[in-house]
Amino acid sequence: MNYARFITARSAARRPSPIRVFTELQNRAPKSVISLATGSPNPNTFPFKTAAITIDNGKTIQFDEQIMKRALQYSESAGIPELLSWLKQLQVKLHNPPTLHYPSSQGQMDICVTTGSQEGLCKVFEMIVNRGDNILLNEPVYSGTLQALQPLGCNMINIASDEYGIIPDSLKEILSKWKPEDSKNPGKNTPKFLYTVPNGDNPTGKSLTSNRKKEIYELARKYDFLIIEDDPYYFLQFNKPWVPTFLSMDVDGRVIRADSFSKVLSSGLRIGFITGPKPLIERVVLHTQVSTLHPSTFTQLLVSQLLHQWGQEGFLAHIERVIDYYRKQKDALLKAADKWLSGLAEWHAPTAGMFVWIKIKGISDVKKLIEEKAIKKEVKRQK
Amino acid sequence: MNYARFITARSAARRPSPIRVFTELQNRAPKSVISLATGSPNPNTFPFKTAAITIDNGKTIQFDEQIMKRALQYSESAGIPELLSWLKQLQVKLHNPPTLHYPSSQGQMDICVTTGSQEGLCKVFEMIVNRGDNILLNEPVYSGTLQALQPLGCNMINIASDEYGIIPDSLKEILSKWKPEDSKNPGKNTPKFLYTVPNGDNPTGKSLTSNRKKEIYELARKYDFLIIEDDPYYFLQFNKPWVPTFLSMDVDGRVIRADSFSKVLSSGLRIGFITGPKPLIERVVLHTQVSTLHPSTFTQLLVSQLLHQWGQEGFLAHIERVIDYYRKQKDALLKAADKWLSGLAEWHAPTAGMFVWIKIKGISDVKKLIEEKAIKKEILMVPGNAFYIDSSAPSPYFRASFSLASPEQMDIAFQRLAELIKESL
Repeated sequence: MNYARFITARSAARRPSPIRVFTELQNRAPKSVISLATGSPNPNTFPFKTAAITIDNGKTIQFDEQIMKRALQYSESAGIPELLSWLKQLQVKLHNPPTLHYPSSQGQMDICVTTGSQEGLCKVFEMIVNRGDNILLNEPVYSGTLQALQPLGCNMINIASDEYGIIPDSLKEILSKWKPEDSKNPGKNTPKFLYTVPNGDNPTGKSLTSNRKKEIYELARKYDFLIIEDDPYYFLQFNKPWVPTFLSMDVDGRVIRADSFSKVLSSGLRIGFITGPKPLIERVVLHTQVSTLHPSTFTQLLVSQLLHQWGQEGFLAHIERVIDYYRKQKDALLKAADKWLSGLAEWHAPTAGMFVWIKIKGISDVKKLIEEKAIKKEVKRQK
Repeated sequence: MNYARFITARSAARRPSPIRVFTELQNRAPKSVISLATGSPNPNTFPFKTAAITIDNGKTIQFDEQIMKRALQYSESAGIPELLSWLKQLQVKLHNPPTLHYPSSQGQMDICVTTGSQEGLCKVFEMIVNRGDNILLNEPVYSGTLQALQPLGCNMINIASDEYGIIPDSLKEILSKWKPEDSKNPGKNTPKFLYTVPNGDNPTGKSLTSNRKKEIYELARKYDFLIIEDDPYYFLQFNKPWVPTFLSMDVDGRVIRADSFSKVLSSGLRIGFITGPKPLIERVVLHTQVSTLHPSTFTQLLVSQLLHQWGQEGFLAHIERVIDYYRKQKDALLKAADKWLSGLAEWHAPTAGMFVWIKIKGISDVKKLIEEKAIKKEILMVPGNAFYIDSSAPSPYFRASFSLASPEQMDIAFQRLAELIKESL
């Protein structure tokens, strides 16, 4: 893979911040080294001393004074080591990425923790997109993504989709205006990436099938574009087995995958992780070095301790309980829809996530109905 | 103020994310509203149930199950309301900003909480800087700022400084290549902003005097540039009274001020706040809406409850204790320097912060001495090169931090350094 063509001049110009590098050096130095190097404040001056967080399994996660000092202190930009290693093992178990042992420059699998997966995605977009670039996505699409992409000035090409998500033939047709070798010619402006929420898409609730993903991946290979797999509802799939991910079929190292804990551990703590080829992940981490610096150490330690306590088994058991809840909720909503909206509206049952996408028959634009009349009836839905 | 000229096309194109707007609408809606609107997950499914955090005053901040559900849920992009209001009152008390009651478009004072003040600053830089823009700062400068600015392709103009920070006459001379009215002509490329760390600058430890700030502000008015006041060591000033800030003299609404809790409450929690004119702060918040979404709700609730418990008085009393610690540390480091480095090196006593900037005499570039020889003697300092626009240029300076080492360790470190220096001469 030639990653250089996917990196803007601004992103390519990012250099490691010597201070962050020194902090990480200091953390690894033996205790006998006297450091007058970093600007880390003295955690003895911080007013928070200990923490105890109870978990739904009856246990408590305790931060004694020593752990608390670490929790309140600066840490590594890509994430704390013990959390990164747990997440790496999870990714290997769930997706067995082909890129796991590739050389760095060939797209070795790399992970960074981010302040919510959206932070990682925003940095990925900002890493890749130059004004005028073509990118592929399928409407309707998560509005946060639209708001992130529009200011970057890219040309968003819509691919047709049905109840199984993106229609590969539509993608093939869109791409046919280029020749495969055009990807080597910047002047031809071939699409840089395809963005997709492959499970429980927001807002449609649809999921891509495994076969469609394979077809899409082949097209990505042919026309050399990246696949940005934004998968916050991966852990909310209602049916087993879970659908293979783009990451699991990524023999080229062209997939950047965003995982989120927002729907299964906590939305408000802001914690997610991005998996992808090292040359691209390191650009994201360099941007983190000069912005958030790192995801909250406290949050990472809390999540890491919980995940280690659970193990992969406990984590997946928790996921089952969460899926169970949302499946029941989905069934209840569809039951209410069947009862009241049959004949008035159309919809498909979602295969994952938290949304149903409903079309009201005979009304071409529901905006007024929802934003004005429905609110008066004290029911809020998004159109 | 014409804010439009300080906003890039990309920043100007940011629109509110309807989802975030809906979330905030839902939070404010009466309980009788049945909402099927937002994508907020159900916090009953989150595994964390309660939290208890002990404070050094002996009290405990408790999050019961209800509060915990809020702490674990999405919240407002600019920050949770009770924290924003406490911070606003603090800013009014400390700085009495002239812009407090200005109309929005004229730069009314606005605040947003960020995931560390650095996140806010990065977004401010990205909001303002187009490739080729001129910006003003004084070397040596915090290397994180250099790393943030360099990729944006701006032209960084260095202003001369001495032990009291930026020298206004140097700034005046740099600006004299333009006429004041040139700021209205984009083709003349007048500087967009001056960036400064006015108290306990990293790495020099120097602070700007009040008079110099006034002169600088007058020049900012004359040539119409913004002042980005990055002030993470404001609460670590060793002397009273604290120096008036640029925010406190900001009659035009041209100051964007970054405050940090990293040095006084916690660095690892990632919490800071940006104060500035509403038209600019709202651009930053729009960028937050599509990136971090909001600073951790849990962290904000924790900090907010502590600050409310303390009140302004308790907060400032805590600050006094923190300053006391760093002042003692500073004295210990300077004592060790006097003892071992007199005649071998030169330095000024810092007036704030955690750093001393030391120049080794007779050695033009200390990089090898510090990065190779000093490490072998098991001492770590930061060579000065990292803090210059051209990091490859030789520098006889190094930065010594007095935040963590004990007085005994400082003594040993400088003893070893003195040996090293003598060996190298």
